[in-house]
Amino acid sequence: MKCTRRNFLKLAGAGVLTLTLGQLGINIDEAMAYAGKLKIEGAKEVVTICPFCSVCCQVIAYVRDGKLVSTEGDPDHPVNEGALCAKGAALFTMYTSDHRLTKPLYRAPHSDKWEEKDWDWTLNQIARRVKDARDKDMILKNEAGQTVNRLESIFMMGTSHASNEECAVIHQAMRSLGVVHMDHQARV
Amino acid sequence: MPKSFLIDTTRCTACRGCQVACKEWHDHPANVTKQRGTHQNPPDLNPYNFKVVRFREHLGADGQVIWNFFPEQCRHCVTPVCVDVADMTVPGAMVHDRATGAVLVTEKSAKLSAEDAQAVIDACPYNIPRYDPATGRLTKCDMCIDRVANGMAPMCVKTCPTGAMYFGERAEVLETARKRLEAVKADFPKARLVDADDVNVIYLLAEEPEHYHDFVAFAQR
Repeated sequence: MKCTRRNFLKLAGAGVLTLTLGQLGINIDEAMAYAGKLKIEGAKEVVTICPFCSVCCQVIAYVRDGKLVSTEGDPDHPVNEGALCAKGAALFTMYTSDHRLTKPLYRAPHSDKWEEKDWDWTLNQIARRVKDARDKDMILKNEAGQTVNRLESIFMMGTSHASNEECAVIHQAMRSLGVVHMDHQARV
Repeated sequence: MPKSFLIDTTRCTACRGCQVACKEWHDHPANVTKQRGTHQNPPDLNPYNFKVVRFREHLGADGQVIWNFFPEQCRHCVTPVCVDVADMTVPGAMVHDRATGAVLVTEKSAKLSAEDAQAVIDACPYNIPRYDPATGRLTKCDMCIDRVANGMAPMCVKTCPTGAMYFGERAEVLETARKRLEAVKADFPKARLVDADDVNVIYLLAEEPEHYHDFVAFAQR
């Protein structure tokens, strides 16, 4: 780095804690020039919980000007002490990847193409089909004549991205419809 | 005093957190993946993977399968041959940072001819540098020099969930390595440290290097 008088004073003023020879341009090695550009410098730290599994590792999200710039494990959290597995370590890309779904996609029966649909259309379709399936297939009583109120033609696939509270609400919604077949993405 | 890593493969579960965290920190794009009959993916180091966890298996004495994991990266040699070879044609194409012990590729590496770049790759006893056709530069692990210079651990070490990786002052890491070696010898009598006197990334293996990868130890060359 160039050592102007202004830079020198600024860095020297930053105090002995952060003072290195490299920052003052005295360092004989070129290496420090590469070290200067820390991509999370000045970014705000926002803590969040990894959405993948029930271990609930805590993550620091680095945000600058409203944009996510990096994520890493939070060393102060007793669960993970800064560590993250391959999935947790990939949170930044999960957020920025161009593979991420941002709009509902619909594939019609027998079609080989995905079509973009708006949320109104999508939610109406889901509601319509759930209602039709339930009206058609609801089993009120079993062969012995006992009340079962069971719906076997709908299957609910859960996700690790749902929180405990979301899981409770989803579960109750499915039970209220009579759905008995439920499983979780991590198991299948 | 330079910095060193200890990579204790007896603790590695091959979750590949280090591999992914490295890619994320360096903003590296995804590789095209393919099922090659192994969990190892990608098959080799490349300009977008400064770190790759290698998988190798063999049959033990009792006929049981022994599955070894080798999180491979640049060793940041104490005396880096690659820097000398690069210096012969393009001074400054690679640098050895004395403060941290990091061996770094600079943008000047783009000035190396294809042959000279290959000479640098061939000079590496551990087969680490890779040529990036997109930028014309050599690529390899940079010890997260930006993080280390700011008092943070390299990303791979930071993310390791099993504590297989240590990072610190060389003397301290060598001491930790010797203690860990003594401790694991109870379970793995053939355990050893690889080239500890010559490199700053010291691997602790449970058995012979050839059961991990072809370029684990200097002596395999």
